[in-house]
Amino acid sequence: MKIIEKLNSWIERAETIVLVTVLGLMVVFAFLQVVLRNIFHEGILWGDILLRHLVLWVGFIGASLATREKKHINIDLFSRIMSDRGKNIVHLLTNLFSVFICYLLADAGWTFVQDEKMMGAEIFAEIPAWYFQIIIPVGFFLMAFRFLVLSLENIIYVFRPEKGGDK
Amino acid sequence: MTSFLFGILLLLFALFGTSLFVIIAAVALSAFYFAEIDSSAVIIELYRLASQPILLAIPLFTFAGYLLAESNTPQRLVALSRAFFGWLPGGLGIVTLVSCAIFTAFTGASGVTIIALGGLLYPVLKKENYPEKFNLGILTASGNLGLLFPPSLPIILYGLISETSIDKLFIAGIIPGLLMVALMSLYSVNRMYKVNPNVESFSAKKAWQATKNAVWEIPLPFIILVGIYGGFFTVTEAAAVTAFYVLIVEVFIYKEVSLTKGLPKVMKDSMILVGGILVILSAAMGLANYMIYDEIPMQILEWMKNFITSKVAFLLVLNLFLLVVGALMDIFSAILVIVPLITPIAMEFGVDPVHLGVIFLANLGIGYSTPPVGMNLFIASFRFEKPVLKLYVATIPFLIILLIALALITYIPELSLWLVDFVGV
Repeated sequence: MKIIEKLNSWIERAETIVLVTVLGLMVVFAFLQVVLRNIFHEGILWGDILLRHLVLWVGFIGASLATREKKHINIDLFSRIMSDRGKNIVHLLTNLFSVFICYLLADAGWTFVQDEKMMGAEIFAEIPAWYFQIIIPVGFFLMAFRFLVLSLENIIYVFRPEKGGDK
Repeated sequence: MTSFLFGILLLLFALFGTSLFVIIAAVALSAFYFAEIDSSAVIIELYRLASQPILLAIPLFTFAGYLLAESNTPQRLVALSRAFFGWLPGGLGIVTLVSCAIFTAFTGASGVTIIALGGLLYPVLKKENYPEKFNLGILTASGNLGLLFPPSLPIILYGLISETSIDKLFIAGIIPGLLMVALMSLYSVNRMYKVNPNVESFSAKKAWQATKNAVWEIPLPFIILVGIYGGFFTVTEAAAVTAFYVLIVEVFIYKEVSLTKGLPKVMKDSMILVGGILVILSAAMGLANYMIYDEIPMQILEWMKNFITSKVAFLLVLNLFLLVVGALMDIFSAILVIVPLITPIAMEFGVDPVHLGVIFLANLGIGYSTPPVGMNLFIASFRFEKPVLKLYVATIPFLIILLIALALITYIPELSLWLVDFVGV
């Protein structure tokens, strides 16, 4: 578990670095595009399409981080009235289900990227689209991993409540 | 039978806290599976997002909103509206409503308003002897007041998923939004002018001071509105300008968020929300594609026609339905899942898509403060450390006012559409 936790926070650090860099670039570059268009009447042609692909990057990394911090949007009506033990048992099930669905999505994403790669899809100027699309399967895979870690924490809680899990 | 059991199981999973994107994706994946379509169809729908120019506006506006919330903008906003409205008898109610509405427009109704502004306004109201019940009620009910004002994120999402012009939606929400603020202001002044008769007189000096302090932030709404409707830029460009402007102002001029520590944290927190929305958006787009393919809205319509025949009856059922949905779900998922289902039906009953958007947002926003499970009630209970039951009682009078406003907004389409025609977007 310690090794997994280490790996998990190592991934988080990498994600944060990519996220901050990409979003920083996006804010500056998007503004620059507006300036170019309004003053020189011409933005960088591939600028907008690049920016939209970067949204996928920050979005999927954000979603992966949301999984780690249990900040995904949910309804969670019943957990309010459950004991900590019951909560962990139920959340073990829901987390495992989430692992399964995210895995299916990662798999579907992988098929999609392979198809695009084979068709030689480009986003602009001979840059293959899959360079950017790859974040879709990677993002879902990271989410599957995070949900798996959360399920492990739920199991640990049932046996050793002092060691984490949902409270 | 199998699909029925599967549905029940998913519903249980959802109610026990499974992330909504997982639930929606599960429905979409199984629907495609049974229709013998390859699961990568879900991803194709997702990737279609990358061709929508408005996609870029979502992270940029969200980032700007979080950055404003993280700096001292809330304090300056409250000081400013206090200087201008605080001298009226019972004026602190108006101060609360106006500050919350402006703040929510920028932060996108994710509960941030109650957390950030509630903490500032609650002690102020208490100190001026406003009764506790009134304070709790007004702060809980104001949590989503600015939802209808640009550049609120729910409006953008509605436009994106329903393929309605966001330029029009931004304009359409203004009068209905003002109506809600005005009705609630009337109510609070009417109730409070005896409790709090004219405590502070208007001070030009104070007003000037507050204006000067917020001088960099006051232009923001105008940059957005004038920029878009003056024809200078698109909504997405407005987002780019807003994000850059707020970054410069908060980090380099006010220096309230540090470049190395505060800024990365704001970026991370805001993108966690964006990521959460993006995955729901992608799953919902896959699902919507399937629903349209399977003509599910048309089937619902056929069934509905058995007992709903007029536009008014349809709108009434819609109002009630959305109140329940808004109380159960957050506004982002509600919009993304319900809108593709309802829009084709509403068209059949002759509801204008722009008007429908305003109804949706106003309605879902009120649902947030509706007992027993509206999310604002829990956020407020947590923030003010008061039992939820107490908040139910405190919120009811304000809820009634909001429902009156909702009825006006729903049954008088001109409230939403007149300004759209007038501006001519």
